[in-house]
Amino acid sequence: MMSDRVAGLMGQLIAVAIALAIGAVIILAVNESPLRVLVTLIDGAFGNPERIAGTLLQMTPILICGIAACISLRGGLFNIGIEGQLFIGGFAATWVGFSFALPPLVHVLFGLAFAALAGMLWIAVPAFFRARFNTNEVVSTILANYVAILLTSYLTINVFKRPGGQPDTPAILESAYLPQIFSFSRLNWGLFIGVALAIGAYLFFTRTARGYAVTEMGANPKFAEYGGIDIKRQTFVLLLVSGAVGGLAGGIESLGVHHRFMEGFAPGFGFDGVIAALLANGSPIGTIVTALFFGALRNGSLLLEVDTTASREIITVIQALIILAVSAQILVRRRASDSTAGERRWKF
Amino acid sequence: MEVLERLFNAALIVAMLRTTAPILLVALGGSFTTKAGIFNIGLEGQMLLGAFFAVIGTIVSGSPWIGVLCGVAAALVLAYIFALLVVTFRANEVVVGLALNILASGMTISLMKAIFGTRGSIFGHGLVGLPIIRLPFAKDLGWFGQIISGYTPLVYVAFLAVPVLIIFYKRSRLGLYIRVVGEKPEAAEALGISIARIRYTASLICGVLAGLAGAHLSLGYTTMFTENMSSGRGFMAVAILIFSNGDPLKLLAGCLLFGFSDALSLRMQTTLGVSSYIILAVPYLVALAALFALSYRSRPRLIQETLATMGRALSVKPNGASGS
Repeated sequence: MMSDRVAGLMGQLIAVAIALAIGAVIILAVNESPLRVLVTLIDGAFGNPERIAGTLLQMTPILICGIAACISLRGGLFNIGIEGQLFIGGFAATWVGFSFALPPLVHVLFGLAFAALAGMLWIAVPAFFRARFNTNEVVSTILANYVAILLTSYLTINVFKRPGGQPDTPAILESAYLPQIFSFSRLNWGLFIGVALAIGAYLFFTRTARGYAVTEMGANPKFAEYGGIDIKRQTFVLLLVSGAVGGLAGGIESLGVHHRFMEGFAPGFGFDGVIAALLANGSPIGTIVTALFFGALRNGSLLLEVDTTASREIITVIQALIILAVSAQILVRRRASDSTAGERRWKF
Repeated sequence: MEVLERLFNAALIVAMLRTTAPILLVALGGSFTTKAGIFNIGLEGQMLLGAFFAVIGTIVSGSPWIGVLCGVAAALVLAYIFALLVVTFRANEVVVGLALNILASGMTISLMKAIFGTRGSIFGHGLVGLPIIRLPFAKDLGWFGQIISGYTPLVYVAFLAVPVLIIFYKRSRLGLYIRVVGEKPEAAEALGISIARIRYTASLICGVLAGLAGAHLSLGYTTMFTENMSSGRGFMAVAILIFSNGDPLKLLAGCLLFGFSDALSLRMQTTLGVSSYIILAVPYLVALAALFALSYRSRPRLIQETLATMGRALSVKPNGASGS
């Protein structure tokens, strides 16, 4: 068992190395030194305490979105709509934050709960149709992202716009702030919530019968059905929970970091979360590591844009290459172990 | 009444055909992979990369036609990587498709900054669009002439491709092979058809059309490149592909529905003053509604099929028992 795991981990690492090598060639192609890009990235991500806090700050939403993705991936489902759930959740928490006056802790909890509920509602329709009629959830959740981003922009600019000023909502009350960890950074308790969620998801999948049933469904839905699992119900509930965690990620961004909602609220965290979960092969604990990696890339890329001529989107290229390398790698391993690897579960 | 007249007229149909063309081209490309049994969520990225390199090719060469070729070539490279990973390495199609989309998005923005030193969009730099084709006989046809004349060439390519594809799937050997590979891979194997080769072919043809769709977006529909300018058209195409099952005629109907909702909502913005955010959301909502509505409708058929198979299974057993 252990050697299998080690082999798997080695596979992922080799894939990452290949991707980084291709990334280096691409960086050369845009006339920049790969070594300088690497040094700048590391310096930008871990150069001093503020930058480390910045990396953890970027990691937080990626981690929580990654957990949301893990939850659906474990059951063999693709919730690609985490980005949209994050926007909806972020707006919902902000709305609670500026509309109500509540005691400090209650206000935060109410805001986060509302964010999770909003994320859950946002995925409810795609989840229902996936569970009941097998409607492809990849496409429906992706399309819902576009609607979510436009809807929150509409609410922000046409309904709740702060008089005068920028295109953003009024600030939330201080009672709704998620407490910061250090005085010098916007890093907040969201990180702890994220890590707690990862551990919770890990325990759920490894220690409970229901968690096992979900993993079973992901591995082989037909077999799981024969085993007496109510696939439809489980699919629906699983996607709802995944959506709720995605909404929560948005709530934490708004109550912990921005303290208001604006256009371009949290660009790409939802997608980064999906990628982090894929790289971790659906393992919640592994997602902590991959989210840290992607958080560092993101934070390092801010300095990259200042210090070199490369644009920070070069890191999304590297992320994509990593996933491509890993996706091929996973299969080399799987093909050796079982014959159902070629089975296409997403055929329509 | 006056509002309705301002909303519905020949110009609306022209606008509808214009907005339909890019999504129709990419959806027709996806029809090949769909028919071959591949779920291709990477259309969006192929289209985006095609749009970008069409602009680069045009600026470098001065000819939009060379630009179209460059766009197609770029999309082909992405389609080849997709096929390599999905067919040869048997990687998960959803994962590969999404990663290629992210790759295309990041790469176009990085290259834009590296080459032009700007973010946002590329225009000027000697960028010329594809010429507008005015059909010589259109003048004599009145309002119908207005509707069929005055588009950029790829619009005609998109609509003419529909009957070509219908014949291709019905009459040509390759079309038949593609369908067999998608519907009954075991049968294809038994017939000695190479599943891998057919899936590669389908993916690459898909790349050509997705590249054309991209080139049309940046050289015909507009004459510029903007960050993420495909704006979900590739995903909408996938939604249409799901409920049309890749049939060219149904695809056309689905794409016209989008073109119509797009064109109509744009007009409603100007005539009724609805917020642009709501207007922009309309095509995505239409795609979702169609996806859900049609999956609901296909349910009875599914149940019927299940009942039929169960009935057959039940009726076979007693026979077999009596035989022995």
